[in-house]
Amino acid sequence: MAKKGEIIIEESFCKGCGLCELFCNKKSISMGKIGPGGFPIAQISDPETCNGCGTCGFMCPDMAIEVYKYVDGRSL
Amino acid sequence: MSQKTAITKKLICKRPTFRMLPLGFCSGCHYGIIYRLLDEVIEEMGIKGDAICIGGGGCSMIGAMAMDIDTFGGPHGPGTAIASALKRVSPNAFIFAVQGDGEQGAIGLGSFVATAARGENITVITMNNACYGMTGGQLAPTTLLGMVTPTTPEGREQVMSGYPMHGPELVAPLKGVAYAARGTVHTPANRQKSKKMLKTAFQKQQQQLGFGVFEFLSACPTNWKISPTDCIQFIEEKMLPEFPLGQFKNIERKE
Repeated sequence: MAKKGEIIIEESFCKGCGLCELFCNKKSISMGKIGPGGFPIAQISDPETCNGCGTCGFMCPDMAIEVYKYVDGRSL
Repeated sequence: MSQKTAITKKLICKRPTFRMLPLGFCSGCHYGIIYRLLDEVIEEMGIKGDAICIGGGGCSMIGAMAMDIDTFGGPHGPGTAIASALKRVSPNAFIFAVQGDGEQGAIGLGSFVATAARGENITVITMNNACYGMTGGQLAPTTLLGMVTPTTPEGREQVMSGYPMHGPELVAPLKGVAYAARGTVHTPANRQKSKKMLKTAFQKQQQQLGFGVFEFLSACPTNWKISPTDCIQFIEEKMLPEFPLGQFKNIERKE
């Protein structure tokens, strides 16, 4: 099973509200890593399960998350 | 067996082009989601060069300053009056005013209702978080009954402070109003519905049908003194029964 998606979290933007963790359908994101500000921020706990739906990115109030979806050349 | 396996990465969720990032909102504030939504809709409609955003006072101004369009600031309250003036001097520009709930319901209520009654061809975006967010969460016109704030330590009572105010329903019966609706961004599904309604509200101005008002429900974790994830539940259980979602007025053509 190949990876379907990938998210990139900009650590200096994240304020640790936890909305991405709440809305992630695949539970790929968890809070806990201490960021540069000294408080817990979001991190990718399970990168294999991410399917690149983009929900975390659109619901992030601080624009910290960028979401990429892998497009297989054969399926197009 | 060698097949072509050209796997490409496609950017699903792009960071909007804001002038200053990160935004200065508190952790878990929904205003960031709302400004992102505004930016998306403006970009999809292709009006980025024409749009002018009028900010007022309060937290809603922080995002208005950051958006990568022309912005205009004013005192706390008469955002709709400034927007009317700007629309009259530049009729081809796309004008929308961003206001908080206290700004629209208390200090700016006169200019808000007067602008709606005149049927000015502008759009007003309200962000309703049921308190005055920037000054410490005092009682606002939209505070729910029984809600504890620094100025109502035993909860809002109807005898002392009256009932919560509903901006879109208030102006919907006026003839100059083309569109009045309320949405929320507290779940991904509601966010998409709000985006659709916001787009309709903006299209009413492009079709020159009249005044449009769209209200967002928002969370204020700092002043409600609950965690950002509990705010989602608070909106679902307490705010939605008081502030119903949906369109209250949507006219197709001018009478």
